[in-house]
Amino acid sequence: MTTLQAHLAYKMGERYGKHPDDGHYPGKLIIVEGIDGSGKSTQIDLLQKWLNSRNLVTVFTEWNSSPIVRRTTKRGKVEEMLTPMSFSLVHAADFANRVHAQILPALRAGAVVLADRYVYTAFARDSARGVDRDWLRRIYSFAVQPSLALYFRTPLDVSIQRINSGREELGYYESGQDMGFSNDREESFRIFQGRLLDEYDAMTEEFGMTVIDATQPIAVQQQLVRQYVDPLINGAMSGGNQSVPEALGQAGLSGRYITPPMRRRPTETEVSDL
Amino acid sequence: MDTIRFYGHTPPNVSGEETPGRLIVLEGTDGVGRSTQIAMLQEWLEAEGYAVTVTGFRRSELAASGINRAMRGNTLDALTLNLFYATDFWDRLEKNIVPALRTGMVALVDRYIFSIIARARVRGVPARWLNDVFEFAAIPDRVLYLDVDVEHLLPRVLAVRQLDHWESGEDFLRGPDLHDNFIRYQSALLDEFRSLAKEHDFTTIDARGSVSDIFQALQHEVREAVKGMA
Repeated sequence: MTTLQAHLAYKMGERYGKHPDDGHYPGKLIIVEGIDGSGKSTQIDLLQKWLNSRNLVTVFTEWNSSPIVRRTTKRGKVEEMLTPMSFSLVHAADFANRVHAQILPALRAGAVVLADRYVYTAFARDSARGVDRDWLRRIYSFAVQPSLALYFRTPLDVSIQRINSGREELGYYESGQDMGFSNDREESFRIFQGRLLDEYDAMTEEFGMTVIDATQPIAVQQQLVRQYVDPLINGAMSGGNQSVPEALGQAGLSGRYITPPMRRRPTETEVSDL
Repeated sequence: MDTIRFYGHTPPNVSGEETPGRLIVLEGTDGVGRSTQIAMLQEWLEAEGYAVTVTGFRRSELAASGINRAMRGNTLDALTLNLFYATDFWDRLEKNIVPALRTGMVALVDRYIFSIIARARVRGVPARWLNDVFEFAAIPDRVLYLDVDVEHLLPRVLAVRQLDHWESGEDFLRGPDLHDNFIRYQSALLDEFRSLAKEHDFTTIDARGSVSDIFQALQHEVREAVKGMA
């Protein structure tokens, strides 16, 4: 039996969220949620930098990124083949694979796992598409309860403005166009994201999420994030965080053949705000 | 069926319109002879004047190629595979089976949710969670289960091909011997099928006999199931 199956068996027949005592793993799970343009990815990135600077082992995991399932999801999106239920199921498959291969092993080892979006994204999006709420909570019962769930609350106008002033164009499913709310992409986005905000608002209470006002300056939000995280990380696993450039430097090498793994980084202004 | 019914909640996009068709499912383990029988049933039903659609496991436009690719790798756990199968199943239910039932066709399904559930249960996935996942499935008019014992199954499989990695449970059984793994795995799988047959009121057909004998038994059941359609 895999750790994931043991974990599911332990929570047998429960709805997600019934086991606040999940934390029998030595690691910590910290997740961020919010609608598109809420700034959550920037915040979790800054959090990871801080944890790494304290020499803690961090593992980053992102929604919809399982190497096994991702291609199917992508194909379904590009060819607009996904319907509310298949959208829901394929994302659950992706999530299960990441819990099995990434999240649980890291938590068992004692790392701090940082997740950009978690089950709440599925609950919000799928419910907004008419999928049964109770069913979603039952099929996701295998998910580990986070040590800290941060919800970055953003008014619709602010998130739309942020998206318009950066980032690539809105996707068909991101803007809920599969639901036929409106033929106009921006109007559809507004309606769909509005529904998501309602779903998130209801969930902050249901799951005891920590709400952060995401209209505040980035640095102010990050201070809050770090205050929430600080008490959790005593005794977390440390070491192993030497960066590749650092190792190259120590060996007196230039690193022509090594490209360190890239992730989106905050812009210069975001960093200098700190 | 006159209107479609589900094991649990009614999922979006397939709600209870009139469905004059029939949903007939063939279940049974690997190599028991399902696809031969399905082909013969289709021939026969069409000759009798019924419009038929055939669909099976891992044949959805959305997920079939992804599952096949995933099964060639080695980090696929039972839960992920199960949800992947569920995606494949839903895609076919929504886009193929339900539309056929609406237009009054006979949908012949080669393996339904029960093969998926049996495989996951053998691998230790809790039955209750599996029932939760698949509660979005439509309840078939008939589930015809081809039952066989492993002694009859093994020669039948060997006559046509090699033993297969997944059909021998080698993703989770840890023995060096393919033959032993096949026996162990298929025996466990058959136990699960027989439990499911009781839980879900399958019509069990003895599949140890000849192709013609099995076909006759199936014909009898399907004739009953399509009664009143024409």
